[in-house]
Amino acid sequence: MSGAGGGKGTKMTRMLEGAGDIVRTHRLRKEFEDLVAVDDLDLKVGPGLLYGMIGPNGSGKTTAIKMLVGLLRPTAGKAYVLGEKVPIVDNISRIGYMPQEMAIYADLTVHENLELFSRLYSMDRELFEKRERELLKVIDLSDRRDALVSQLSGGMKHRTSLACALMHDPEVVFLDEPTVGVDPELRVGFWKYFADLKARGKTVIMTTHYMDEAVRCDLVGMMRLGRLIGEGTPKELMAMTSTSDLESAFMTMARKVGT
Amino acid sequence: MPLIMITIFGYTFGGDVKNIDVCVVNLDQAPANQSMAGAIISELGTRDTLDIVRVYSPSDAYLDPVAIGREKVEDADIWAIIFFNETFTQDAAAIAGDGTGQSALVRLIADGTNPNIVQAISNDILTAIRAVLGTSAFVVPISISTDLVYGEGARFIDFFAPGVMGLAAMMVTFMLSIISFIHERTTSTLDRLLTTPVTEGEIVAGYALAFGLVGLVQSIVIILTAVALFEIQIVGNPFTVLLIIFVFGAGNQGMGFLLSSLAKNEFQAIQFIPLILFPSLLLSGVFWPIEAVPAFLRPVSYFVPLTYAVEGMRSIMIRGWGMGSIWPEFAVLVIFAGIMLLLSAYSLRKRR
Ligand SMILES: Nc1ncnc2c1ncn2[C@@H]1O[C@H](COP(=O)(O)OP(=O)(O)OP(=O)(O)O)[C@@H](O)[C@H]1O
Ligand SMILES: [Mg+2]
Repeated sequence: MSGAGGGKGTKMTRMLEGAGDIVRTHRLRKEFEDLVAVDDLDLKVGPGLLYGMIGPNGSGKTTAIKMLVGLLRPTAGKAYVLGEKVPIVDNISRIGYMPQEMAIYADLTVHENLELFSRLYSMDRELFEKRERELLKVIDLSDRRDALVSQLSGGMKHRTSLACALMHDPEVVFLDEPTVGVDPELRVGFWKYFADLKARGKTVIMTTHYMDEAVRCDLVGMMRLGRLIGEGTPKELMAMTSTSDLESAFMTMARKVGT
Repeated sequence: MPLIMITIFGYTFGGDVKNIDVCVVNLDQAPANQSMAGAIISELGTRDTLDIVRVYSPSDAYLDPVAIGREKVEDADIWAIIFFNETFTQDAAAIAGDGTGQSALVRLIADGTNPNIVQAISNDILTAIRAVLGTSAFVVPISISTDLVYGEGARFIDFFAPGVMGLAAMMVTFMLSIISFIHERTTSTLDRLLTTPVTEGEIVAGYALAFGLVGLVQSIVIILTAVALFEIQIVGNPFTVLLIIFVFGAGNQGMGFLLSSLAKNEFQAIQFIPLILFPSLLLSGVFWPIEAVPAFLRPVSYFVPLTYAVEGMRSIMIRGWGMGSIWPEFAVLVIFAGIMLLLSAYSLRKRR
């Protein structure tokens, strides 16, 4: 199965050369004591792309995203989001972030969580109600709108968390494993929504452990031990490694760089 | 840590009230070597219950020392003045000799805000009188008349109520703040908040406002209960009391945020609760006056914000003072809150 952007690979890559990158990093590095979590990462993500980061546990995906959204201070290197150096301040309301952990208030209802985040972005009431209806449909929780988050299932909490990140309709959204624990049917729905976001010119940067999701991304970055060991459209990556799926492509790449 | 606590506890709990500041006015005209007042005063001086700030002698009479002393008590600079009149030795001798005349009178003009202190002062005077007369005297020709400047009819509960309010406000705001911050941290909602346009200052201010109000509501409940059940006195303006609670609650919220953001993990953060609560509980004058805190620990008392909250509230509720008189305590609390909130906003920012 080929991804949405699969066929236009070369064109995409070329587009990345241009200015107006949504995310751009230069030798971005994060060390925790003697552990190098992100090792000289060079990333470039243009507008309107669905960028997927894959890599084993501990490969530095979350750390990289946290630096981009301004939660972790880079040890070295530079990073720009929407043209602003991180931690971004002026453009902060143009980004959305869904942490890997639940990160919603368990003692509030789904509605209250959404409302809270809409308030933090100073959204007006009318817009909020419209967005809420829309997002509740996407996460399929319209009928649980007034349920306490603590009483929802794990997957439902996760879906609520996604909706909170998307509430203010950000231009670029960082999603750390948005589909973990979400049932297959709903994941299809999510991907429809991501495609929709993309169609509206939004940029999605996400991490995932599901290879069938990664192939739907326009660009895939393969992380290993904090390093980007391969990047390209899923088609390119598979072609480069003469493999037929991303999983084997990753393995081959990993073998190529050694270690 | 537990060692320090038990030590403080041992030194303060049930400790004697000591170093109570008083002035003495001695107008006794008996020659110095025969003056009974002089003997009593020097006996008082050898004991550590009272700290005699100043002794006014007959040569100070033109100053009207009683009026000055009373004023000092009214300003709460000293707890009491002890007054011996011109004929003190004479009266005592007369009544001891032939049982005639009026009994010699020690006049005590005291701040009744804390009944325990007044009690301690008059007990100490009695002890000193007995020491001077020696064990032989079985009729004590001297009596003490006490005249309270504040807190006429104040009971221990009146002294205690402001302390409980302060302590309760501190417990709820400080502990809730530590716990909510840990919660925000561990559930990553804090991360999420920090990626919104909301600034660190706004997060801290929001919490401070919320917890200040929590402290406020709690105090209203305590006041109403104390008034209804124990008929405590509130001489001054209860709204000033609530203002103190609000500022104090906001400060504690900041302190909780600050400490839990300094902590590496939630276990460390939780340990801050007793670390802060214990000294406040023991050293701030909630249960016993600061005067009962051993002298070497008293400097610590002056670093405990609760000391100022409780003192301020007592001044309002028992002395009937207004903002014009309690502003030093209030200022300390405002500074405390300001520093804590700024530091906690700063530490939030530094976390990145
Ligand atoms: N706060 C921290 N302190 C110390 N080490 C950390 C910290 N956060 C992450 N690490 C380490 O950095 C490395 C990268 O972690 P990171 O969370 O970025 O991995 P990841 O790719 O997101 O993994 P996963 O797929 O499991 O989410 C790991 O070895 C991790 O142990
Ligand atoms: Mg991760």
